[in-house]
Amino acid sequence: MSSETTTGATGPARPEVERLHVAGLHAPADAVLSVRDLNVRFNSENGVVHAVRGVDLDLMPGKTLGIVGESGSGKSVTSLAIMGLLPSTAEVSGSVRLKGRELLGLSDKAMCEYRGNELAMVFQDPLSSLTPVFTVGTQIIEALTIHHPAMSRKAKEARAVELLAMVGIPSPKDRLRAFPHEFSGGMRQRVMIAIAIANNPRVLIADEPTTALDVTIQAQVLEVLHTAQEETGAAVVMITHDLGVVAGMADDIMVMYAGKPVETGAVDDIYYDPRMPYTMGLLGAVPRVDVAEKSSLVPIEGMPPNLLNTPTGCSFAPRCPLASDACLDGEPALASVDGQGLHSAACIKSDALGGDVDVHDVFAAPPVPVSRFDAVPRAERTTVLQLKDVKKHFPLTRGALIKRRIGTVKAVDGVSFDIREGECFSIVGESGSGKTTTLLEIMEFHQDQDGEVVIGGLSNKQAADAKTKARMRRELQMVFQDPTGALDPRFTVYEVLAEPLQNAGMDRAAIRKRIMELMKLVGLQPDHVNRFPNQFSGGQRQRIGIARALAVNPKLVVLDEPVSALDVSVQAGVINLLDHLRAELGLSYLLVAHDLSVVRHISNRVAVMYLGKIVEIGEVDRVFDNPRHPYTRALLSAIPVPDPRLERTRERIILQGDLPSPLQAPKGCNFATRCPVFAALPPAKQEKCLSLEPPLESVRPSAAAQALQNAPVHPYDQRFACFFPDGALDEDMLVVHEPAENHAP
Amino acid sequence: MLKYLAKRGITYLVMIFLTTSAGYFLAVSSLKPALLEQERIPRPTPEQVANSMRLKGLDPDLSPWERYVDWLTGIVTRWDWGRSPNGAYINAEFGDRVWISTRLFLASIILTLVIGVALGVYSAARQYKFQDRAITSYSYLAYIVPAPIAYFLVQLGAININETVGSRIFFVTGISTPGISPGWPQFVDLLAHYVVPTLAITLVGWGAYQIAQRQYLLDNVNADFVRTARAKGLSRNQAIARHALRVSFIPVAQSIAFTIPAIFAGGFFAEKIFAWPGVGSWSIDAISLQDVNAATATLAYGSVIFAIGAILADFATTLVDPRVRVQ
Repeated sequence: MSSETTTGATGPARPEVERLHVAGLHAPADAVLSVRDLNVRFNSENGVVHAVRGVDLDLMPGKTLGIVGESGSGKSVTSLAIMGLLPSTAEVSGSVRLKGRELLGLSDKAMCEYRGNELAMVFQDPLSSLTPVFTVGTQIIEALTIHHPAMSRKAKEARAVELLAMVGIPSPKDRLRAFPHEFSGGMRQRVMIAIAIANNPRVLIADEPTTALDVTIQAQVLEVLHTAQEETGAAVVMITHDLGVVAGMADDIMVMYAGKPVETGAVDDIYYDPRMPYTMGLLGAVPRVDVAEKSSLVPIEGMPPNLLNTPTGCSFAPRCPLASDACLDGEPALASVDGQGLHSAACIKSDALGGDVDVHDVFAAPPVPVSRFDAVPRAERTTVLQLKDVKKHFPLTRGALIKRRIGTVKAVDGVSFDIREGECFSIVGESGSGKTTTLLEIMEFHQDQDGEVVIGGLSNKQAADAKTKARMRRELQMVFQDPTGALDPRFTVYEVLAEPLQNAGMDRAAIRKRIMELMKLVGLQPDHVNRFPNQFSGGQRQRIGIARALAVNPKLVVLDEPVSALDVSVQAGVINLLDHLRAELGLSYLLVAHDLSVVRHISNRVAVMYLGKIVEIGEVDRVFDNPRHPYTRALLSAIPVPDPRLERTRERIILQGDLPSPLQAPKGCNFATRCPVFAALPPAKQEKCLSLEPPLESVRPSAAAQALQNAPVHPYDQRFACFFPDGALDEDMLVVHEPAENHAP
Repeated sequence: MLKYLAKRGITYLVMIFLTTSAGYFLAVSSLKPALLEQERIPRPTPEQVANSMRLKGLDPDLSPWERYVDWLTGIVTRWDWGRSPNGAYINAEFGDRVWISTRLFLASIILTLVIGVALGVYSAARQYKFQDRAITSYSYLAYIVPAPIAYFLVQLGAININETVGSRIFFVTGISTPGISPGWPQFVDLLAHYVVPTLAITLVGWGAYQIAQRQYLLDNVNADFVRTARAKGLSRNQAIARHALRVSFIPVAQSIAFTIPAIFAGGFFAEKIFAWPGVGSWSIDAISLQDVNAATATLAYGSVIFAIGAILADFATTLVDPRVRVQ
């Protein structure tokens, strides 16, 4: 770390010394942590990267600050600079004061006194953040030993047990001796939180703490963070790219772009009255899980600037639809929006953006595409894919030489559904629920499979020779999750797109023509065909992946988490493209995604999977607005919504524990072990759940509705597998945060 | 753990049996000691040769399978590994030579490991500084220079010292001086014989460990869990010492299995150059002398050493890595 605490760089508006002086004067007296004019520069091969450019922030005890931004916006670097954990090659300047004491410029050794004691941090990836060779207990106790060397071994152990219990780890005393690999991701993140709060920190920084976790586990971990904050009274910095996660938790928000805060303010100001086009775009780019209304997402075109050169104008100007020449003249400083209060935005047009400006107009969101199939009733459309009772069981064996079968993992256990022309069908569920295995079974298309797969009229049972398989591949193509890993780095885009066409036996001229068509279709410049994948951004690479899938004109495209690796603003563009292609080409999609908001936005029908079985299936709006299966209800309630007021009062079902191992699957209903309804049932009814497997049954309109219509009504397109869909929920699993409790902004 | 080790032991026993049997068949069908006998002066008659061979259990008229059965019965029932064409008993000669090899290599293996790992850690902690560059460059040099040349260089160095001082401090060949009185003088003599080969083998050997340990540690220095340890309040060096070091030792521990047998069985250069008649040089001699039983015995010995090394590596890995701990 650099030892200099002042900097020669000049701020945009005032001379540096004056700026720091004024900021120092205005720092609230009760702030635990005050950061002023934080700048971080890295030396890279291409020159100096100015990763953080003048961050000011104040943290109040017990309050939560959310830092939001895309990857590369400088959020994580800011937090690491505060912790003093940046590599020694980073050049840090400015001021970080913890209760009045300056932290910048302290040696690594001097910082050790604060780190883990008054300043604590939770990192993104719980799988790699714990040392694999030490027990969980050792690692918690280490945090105590460092700052309290005098504490007795017994006291430390007692405190470790207390901490594990606080973060919700069952039988904490025994778990002390467990190694990290014996814990699931969610449990490990709980341990990380336990380590962070071990010494009652004043400031707790959480850097994307739930990004690597399933939604149900995310809800649990956010709940633990909430408890941790209540127990310690710490100021929390929540760094995330997910505007939903912070909506319910944060008191204040700081939006970062290109290493600078571009808008700061109370959470309600930011969500309901954004004054910076970038914030507006971010909010408009996120699909909502709780809204059925269909409107296109707001794509923010372009890429964030690289920070090798200091921007001469507003750093967002190249991507901003409102940019004018005035925007290019000097970088706008954060200025109070209404001349008073804490809501500030770095935009010269912020005054004009208040009130009822619609983000869809500002960013010119494309109109909602209409497919020619939308008008045709579903029953009259051709089936493009049908699964009949598809099963995939893996034998679980033990023993080195002679393998004994000790059980069966039912990864996919009797899944049936069909996809019609022009519709998007999605499969959702936690990791381990069998979504991906279902996709693999469809791609496998082999005679010996358990169950029938019919793709465009071709059944895997009738013929599984190479010719049929080749024909099947022309009906069905796949787009993968990681666009970088799915493209050969040594192939130009032309070669990537030509390969499937050559396999289809097209001649060179036709291939060339088709590739140009494809590039235009997915919104890429046709003259970029000779570039290599690494010359494109993540979103563009995913477009190449989509173009490759579309090359042979398939009827059905299988999308395996197509946008989960992309930033929100880029994600919106890809989702809009998928929507557009479906309408224009009459495609059908089979989508697997863990983000239910994306699923709701793009799908027509949805299936919810749990432990290899479909527990609820039907029309997406019906399932999401009126979920019947307790698991669907829990999943939906776990998803944070980018709406602070709603988020604060929302009732949340927090499922206990993780997805059980498939070996322990109960005989009756799979979900009984975690079911909030089951927990509240009387024992007599519980018996039914435990012994009988609930069948997937349709929802019939109530007798009253039938009488009202005066005619037999068609059953709704919604089926679910639960005996007691209307049962009361167990109160222990329900969590509501009263707005008055701690979130009055 | 014991049960696991026993299981591994049995697996290796089967493997040793298979390699040794295969080795015996190869030796018995390609090595013809009778041909060498015939080159003696005065030239013996074929009957005489066959007779002398038959007496030593090396009857060339029997089929390979019959000889294999005889040989195996001898080992299983009497632990008799047969005789050489010159009449020597394999068991007796093997006993002498194993002891010589062990004395030659044991100290240098331990030194190689300790110095290599320690220097690896030292250089990783000072990445790209002068010490790191010097140590790592040396290790690569030791990698490149063929072992015999390095041994000769050390010998020359020792001779140089002897000449400079004017008296013979180091012996550059041999195991001990015959006819020295027991007690202190014998110990000094032993040491004087030991130093040069041990030093030579160690100097050449540690490079591989240094490079591996440095690399694995550097892979872990910026690991997420080291960052977590620092966030708890450990300084960078403390975090590396307590958290990264042990994780980085896991792959090094595994590599031991494959270097120990290589040093033992492949040590014939050292044995030849320093004139220590151990197992390594014996295995080469056995082939040139068409000695079926000796060649097979050295092969069996190599397999046993490999198994021991592998079990040691398993043991070391289990010790440092809880993820592979067996229930």
